[in-house]
Amino acid sequence: MAIGEQQTQEDSDGGGDGVEANVGWRYTLDKIKSDATARFGLYVIAAVATVAIVTTIDANLSRLTLGRVEDFALAESVWYHPERHPDPGTTERRMPPFFVEGGSLEHPLGTDRNGRDYISRLVYGTRISFFVGIVATALGMLGGVLIGAVSGYYGGWIDDVLMRAVETLYAIPPLVLVIVFTVFVSGGDPDITYAVFGVGIAFIPVFARLIRSRVLSVREMDYVEAARATGVKDRDILRRHVIPNSFAPVLVLATLQIGVTILIVAGLSFLGYGAQPPTPDWGEMLRISHQYMHSNPWMSIWPGLAILITIMGFNLFGDGLQDALDPRIK
Amino acid sequence: MGLLRYTLNRVLQSIPVMFGIAVITFLLVNSMPGNPVDIMLAEQEASPELIAAIEARYGLDEPLHIQFLNYIGLSWILGAVGIPGFVGSPPGILQGDLGFSMYYERPVADLMLTRLPPTLLLMISAFAFAIATAVPLGVLAAKRRNQPADHVSRVVALIGVSTPSFWIGIMLIILFSVQLGWLPSGRLVYPWRDPSHYGLTSQWELYYQTVRHLILPMVALGTLQMATIMRVERSSMIESLQKEYVQLARAYGVSERKIMRKHAFRPSQLPVVTLIGLNLTSAIGGAVLIEMVFSINGMGRLLIQAIQTHDYQLTIGTTVVIGFVFVIGVIITDISYAYIDPRVSYGEEN
Repeated sequence: MAIGEQQTQEDSDGGGDGVEANVGWRYTLDKIKSDATARFGLYVIAAVATVAIVTTIDANLSRLTLGRVEDFALAESVWYHPERHPDPGTTERRMPPFFVEGGSLEHPLGTDRNGRDYISRLVYGTRISFFVGIVATALGMLGGVLIGAVSGYYGGWIDDVLMRAVETLYAIPPLVLVIVFTVFVSGGDPDITYAVFGVGIAFIPVFARLIRSRVLSVREMDYVEAARATGVKDRDILRRHVIPNSFAPVLVLATLQIGVTILIVAGLSFLGYGAQPPTPDWGEMLRISHQYMHSNPWMSIWPGLAILITIMGFNLFGDGLQDALDPRIK
Repeated sequence: MGLLRYTLNRVLQSIPVMFGIAVITFLLVNSMPGNPVDIMLAEQEASPELIAAIEARYGLDEPLHIQFLNYIGLSWILGAVGIPGFVGSPPGILQGDLGFSMYYERPVADLMLTRLPPTLLLMISAFAFAIATAVPLGVLAAKRRNQPADHVSRVVALIGVSTPSFWIGIMLIILFSVQLGWLPSGRLVYPWRDPSHYGLTSQWELYYQTVRHLILPMVALGTLQMATIMRVERSSMIESLQKEYVQLARAYGVSERKIMRKHAFRPSQLPVVTLIGLNLTSAIGGAVLIEMVFSINGMGRLLIQAIQTHDYQLTIGTTVVIGFVFVIGVIITDISYAYIDPRVSYGEEN
């Protein structure tokens, strides 16, 4: 009986033919496909991902082939060249966007204070937000799922200790925790790598709490009981039965959390503790443009819009995923 | 009675969490190589004797675990009981002493007293703004489900959760201060100060200026809260409106207005209150950024200044106090449950 149930579970996971299952990946995909807003979110994510991946490959190419004229020209429009602009802070070479007097179509959105093309920097800034958003969230999810699942599955004192620790971590606002982590653990030399780990740690609590509550109900299932009765090791039960069957809401949370990660990292860079110059990053661009609110307000608009559109994509898709995975919503 | 005991219980439960916050922050800050005196004297030629004297003054010559016991205030207690080796230890957090800021050369607790009120003013007004706009809009959206008003509210909520608060702040400054010149772009006017401090003559003028200065940061910080509250309010109201007792009331011919107010609204507020408690943490993080954008001298800006100057004790103190504010905020939301939902029993025996 118990084994039979497990069987149907697996069948529906595979989207078994002929069975009227309303769970499983194929069903979820179908629902997202029929949801216009979720589809739109997916398109936005795909577009951002494409830009991020292409610019990453390209940046590596230009680093490998540095010296070739066209690559160098591109590099100069995004990063500055230490020999040509030895002290970029002193020379003021800002240019407004083309529709404002003094702008030209050569640099459609103008240039920043170092004379670097604004559009190029916006495009290249995609990489940091996109990859940091995904990697940091994945780290938090990994840590949270491990801690939450162990905590919920074993219960008792393990649960008590782990949950107190998680609650403590949860009580420090993520941005504050990430700032303190990034600055002090890096030894006063903050870098985006530290930010990734900082955000990952800061997000452990939300994932741990969610999966723990799911595990508490899953561990009472007959198929877990059956596995335990047949002598399967706890670790394997957790890995093969408990975590996979508690995972759907975690996936939804992760999608929505990527948006939050991008927000936090943008805030971190805005304060000067995220991506370091000359790396192009939207939060960092806002930090610089903040100083030119009076003379060139346009500089502040574009990076914010880029952040808004990216996060909106993840939020739309996450909402759609939630609807698709929630059996109560038909 | 039950409520009092529940409150006491919640406060007791939060003690390990508060202790944990102090441990985590202390470890994080001290994970930095070198010590604060080296960093403070980095540009000066200091004699070893001077460095040793400063280290001794701040207790930095002790091993890390002793420093921690000193900081928490356990050494002071051990000393007061008369355990040798601890007698004469300085007071710590437990005695209300949050340490000494090397940069400001003032006790950390003193700095907090001047920096906490602006942050609380900002956060409370942001939440007031969020609740005052989100609750009516959420109810309206639920009432007119899938009609234009609902679609508009969903788009507003989506944009609200997807936009960085500090960018909203920058946009508001550019629009309302720089371009239109209607509102001031930064700093706050504190209503608890004397009007003459700002060159104002009457108390009313002071309040007027307070509001004018508060509007932009309030909206910038409150937008995210508004968006999340509106979403939950909407879905919670939709759920209530589908309940059987609402349909029954409708069948009995109770007016739609009364159904909304008496039957649907009140039970829908529980998830909203939970959300406000959970949102405190994102609001505090947002306050750090908003205070930087609007040059408000609150806790967030103090934290950033402490980090920039590598002021260890001030960094730990600010983070710990921010954590405490959050924990207290969550306790308050938990308790306010009782007032909204009399069914919540708080573990009393029947």
